[in-house]
Amino acid sequence: MITLDQVGFRYPDAVRPTLDQVSFHIAEGDLCLVIGGTGSGKSTLLGAINALVPHFTGGRLTGRVLVDGRNTAHFRPRDLAEVVGYVGQDPLRGFVTDTVTDEIAYGMEQLGLAPSAMRKRIEETLDLLGIAELRERALIELSGGQQQRVAIASVLAARPQVLVLDEPTSALDPTAAADVLAAITTIVHEVGLTVVLAEHRLERVMHAADTVAWLPGDGRVVCGPPAEVLGESNLTPPLVGLAHALGWTQVPLSVREARRRVLAEGILPTPPAPTPEPSGAPVLIAAGITVRYGELTAVSNVDLTLRAGEITTLLGRNGSGKSSLLWALQGALSHAGTVDVAGQDPAGLPAAQARRLVSLVPQTAADLLYLSSVGAECDRSDRDSDAAAGTTASLLARLGVQVEADRDPRDLSEGQRLALVLAIQLSAEPSVLLLDEPTRGLDYQAKAELARMVSELAEAGLAVLVSTHDVEFAATIGHHTVLMAEGELIAEGPTGELLASSVAYAPQLAKVFAPAVVLTVADVIAGLS
Amino acid sequence: MNTTPRLSATLRSRISLVVAAVAGLLAFCWPLLLTPGAGVSARLAPQVFAGVLVMVLAVVLTELSAAQLDAKTLAMLGVLAAVGTILRPLGAGTAGFELVFFVIIVAGRAYGAGFGFILGALTLFTSALITSGAGPWLPYQMLAAGFVGLFAGLLPRARGAAELVLLAGYGMVSAFAYGWLMDFSFWPFALGDGTQLSFDAALGPWQNLQRFFWYNLATSMGWNLGRAITNAVLIALLGTPLLRLLRRSGRRAELVQPAIAAPTAE
Amino acid sequence: MERTATLRTLHPLAWWGWAIAIGIAVNTTTNPLLLLLIAAAMLLVVLARRSNAPWARSIRAYLVLAAVVIGVRMLFQIVIGAHSGTTVLFVLPEIPLPDWAAGIRLGGAVTAEALVRSGYDALRLAVLLFAVGAANALASPRQALRSVPAALYEVSVAVVVALNVAPQLIESGQRVHRARRLRGESAMSPRGGLELGLAVVADAIDRSLSLAAGMESRGFARTSRRTGEGGWLLIGSAVVATFGGFLLLSTSDRLLAFFVLAVGLVGTLAGLRRAGARLGVTRFRPPAWGWRETLTVSAAVLSAAIVLTAGVLDNAAVFPSTDPLVWPQLPLSLLAAVALVLAPLPLTIAATTVPDARDDRRVRELRPVAEVVR
Repeated sequence: MITLDQVGFRYPDAVRPTLDQVSFHIAEGDLCLVIGGTGSGKSTLLGAINALVPHFTGGRLTGRVLVDGRNTAHFRPRDLAEVVGYVGQDPLRGFVTDTVTDEIAYGMEQLGLAPSAMRKRIEETLDLLGIAELRERALIELSGGQQQRVAIASVLAARPQVLVLDEPTSALDPTAAADVLAAITTIVHEVGLTVVLAEHRLERVMHAADTVAWLPGDGRVVCGPPAEVLGESNLTPPLVGLAHALGWTQVPLSVREARRRVLAEGILPTPPAPTPEPSGAPVLIAAGITVRYGELTAVSNVDLTLRAGEITTLLGRNGSGKSSLLWALQGALSHAGTVDVAGQDPAGLPAAQARRLVSLVPQTAADLLYLSSVGAECDRSDRDSDAAAGTTASLLARLGVQVEADRDPRDLSEGQRLALVLAIQLSAEPSVLLLDEPTRGLDYQAKAELARMVSELAEAGLAVLVSTHDVEFAATIGHHTVLMAEGELIAEGPTGELLASSVAYAPQLAKVFAPAVVLTVADVIAGLS
Repeated sequence: MNTTPRLSATLRSRISLVVAAVAGLLAFCWPLLLTPGAGVSARLAPQVFAGVLVMVLAVVLTELSAAQLDAKTLAMLGVLAAVGTILRPLGAGTAGFELVFFVIIVAGRAYGAGFGFILGALTLFTSALITSGAGPWLPYQMLAAGFVGLFAGLLPRARGAAELVLLAGYGMVSAFAYGWLMDFSFWPFALGDGTQLSFDAALGPWQNLQRFFWYNLATSMGWNLGRAITNAVLIALLGTPLLRLLRRSGRRAELVQPAIAAPTAE
Repeated sequence: MERTATLRTLHPLAWWGWAIAIGIAVNTTTNPLLLLLIAAAMLLVVLARRSNAPWARSIRAYLVLAAVVIGVRMLFQIVIGAHSGTTVLFVLPEIPLPDWAAGIRLGGAVTAEALVRSGYDALRLAVLLFAVGAANALASPRQALRSVPAALYEVSVAVVVALNVAPQLIESGQRVHRARRLRGESAMSPRGGLELGLAVVADAIDRSLSLAAGMESRGFARTSRRTGEGGWLLIGSAVVATFGGFLLLSTSDRLLAFFVLAVGLVGTLAGLRRAGARLGVTRFRPPAWGWRETLTVSAAVLSAAIVLTAGVLDNAAVFPSTDPLVWPQLPLSLLAAVALVLAPLPLTIAATTVPDARDDRRVRELRPVAEVVR
């Protein structure tokens, strides 16, 4: 279906080519998973399939890209609309119209389809993605997962043979991401479409992939069966990490596969010693925190203690009140109840002083950046925090991130941006750090980096609260875990015990080794030696 | 400047702009041309000309969009018109604190005259749709704002501080021109007859201009001056970063002719 | 949805046609009784037929605007009015301005004749504004965008994009505003406002690129052919229309001028039609124009014609004298003009009568779940 033949591509002002002598083939009806770190050229590869590269982006393309027998050099993206459907990262940014049906009709209007045919196709596509009840809704009111499914529906309505999805879940929370990935799997299995999917939540999709294309970042593309290519790659979803740790060449693609093999080979790591009772001094004591939006109580009577040097992870499904709790703790959201940080309540202080007690990095961290260069952001941050000049820049360096001062923050990778925001917030020398969903949009490497940064900060005596959906990340960094549901705290305890005993929040490795409490690859290595 | 999105002007789209300018001049300055006993009354004239301007706008916008309005230009027009639409009600009520023109001027400067014209007209149109402000005055506003953007794109070359001074000066001039033209065309309609400052076709252009001058001084000077100062201040403060933003994205969006190597022998 | 079971929405252009025709009627009379009755009839239609969409609430603003217009007019009349007539109501102290100020004199005697005369004219302007407000409240702008000529398709897409992006930008501005507090900065300062504005624009520009990529890969403008058909016809028509406007101003030959204007209009419409052929884009669910729309507009046009004819036949009824002051009369024929304004009320009632199956007890399990619960 898709053939790349000696394809090379270089952006107009780039030093080295993004794609270099790439050749591979994707058969009809396959789900091809495109993996690689941020900036490795995944988007370029996907763009080449629907001719956005080079027709829309500019740059120099060599070699041939054939899609359904058409050479993309001679077809503009718009001419391929009924051959290749393309869905980008943030669905809301790609919408042209305002309601679901209009958006799905838009592509067909461009193709000049008869209005009577449109109605039928719209209904079919709505059913296929399970969004029929959203038919007349306004797009802006939908949840992220619903929006992304509408975006997929709107390209499917043109009946393409290939569906290209560029990290469709990177802007979504895990629940929404699961919805979208389930819809994609349906399309592959029920409709027989060829799907090319770039995705960094490998643990959710790798079992469904027929082939994997791995971009190591040097212009090459390694393509082949998932079990082999994943084993070769430097990306480390838990099962791949397990395979590396145990020296397996074939990566198990699902928990079931891994568990069978572990049982067959009799691998039984000794679980790490249970974490001792919290010992740090209490830094933040919250009592009776309640947040109300009109009729809706988002956070209800929450008591919480954060201790110095300890990382607390806050888990719970979407809408359980995690974000509201964090904003209330920082004092930036109206609430009932008290927060005590060294005898002061941040809610009663001006913003500039509140952040010296409690600093919050919000879900969309990039909102905190609005100047035109990294250097300007650092200078401003030093002034805002009354810190010595260069404090923020050196914090950034200490976080292990090297960024030129003249770079535009908008051009940084997600991980670099997050580090910059972290450095800005830390420049106020708070004693409590709150992180809201920090792993959104991060690749495995960036996630590992973040885990290292946060652990080091905690070792330096900071009290940290991380709200996350990412159980693997929580398992890696957490000392203490709190579960939230419908605005209330429903469980609390040491991370290991709490996660391993949970059905919904157990990390993949805990499921592989149950009943032993083994959460991470590090635990496996330690337990076997 | 080789930044896209920029409309390549065809001969026909240029001619249509000239026609629009003539029609606009006629529509805005009709009180000077109206002869006593003509076929139209002073009250009816602005309404009839609103109809003429709708036709002229349809012609110009058709011609400009036929001159290659690609997806990037269109998307940029849409989002900038959205920015203007949000800014417009922010200033309403405070004398002349109008923020729209600043965006139209800077975008016209960055992306060229044709872009400026469409952006000006579309911003006011979108804003009227959102605020339910469509009426006989809308075609006048669209055309006037369109020309504010158009002339911003035709200003002479300048860089750095000189460019800012040029734009800020233009911002002030265009604010007054916009205000006077709009007020002048609706003055007889708004004030009616029977006062000492009312339009009277029998008096001739010179005396009518005098009357308009005093009427405008009394009723709209604050607005016009406020608009002019707002434009100049905003351009001075935000002109440089905004121009840089627009030009940078212009470069990023530039449709580089893709270079595709000849297919290798089979 | 804007449509309910018993009411039908009209094509947005039908509402505009209705309002414009009423505007013509209003333009050709100063009879306050007629003007007030027409306004009341329009208000009735608006209140009965507007949807619950945001634009439908705009009618209040237009009512306020109309009142302000009347107030300002009267104020100007009192302060700088030229006062003819003999019925002096009161005398203001007179302040002559110096010669260079065009010889204007403030104050003086205020006469009932002059006030009534300018009051009639102000009322006419206010009712005209109200007609515009009625059209704004009744016609859905989004539906109107769907019915623009094909030649203006691209431009209408840009407007649709603007309408959709605007609320998203407001949301992103609010997010940045909240985030500023986390950095300990106040967004209320002028600098904060400027930086917030720039952040929103930067976000808007980023959006435009992903939007363009989406449009491009979904086939935007791929059916467009650069034939340039109809172009010269369009430009020629615009020239003709402009010339018609000029004739209207400079000659007393009203017929000739309107004829030239009409030629320009027909030429523009034909040109737009031909220019639209360069796009092979189709429309999903375009608003339909049917007999209800035709009748609505015709009724309003007929109403205007009645007022116009009445003006020719019985000038005093349509333009009541203000000097000497007389009480305005309202002949029966003009009441017909008011009644025709109400035409949309019966025309928007759905014609078909479907029996209500709720009362049918035979096959209860067929009833929709929502109905049963209720």
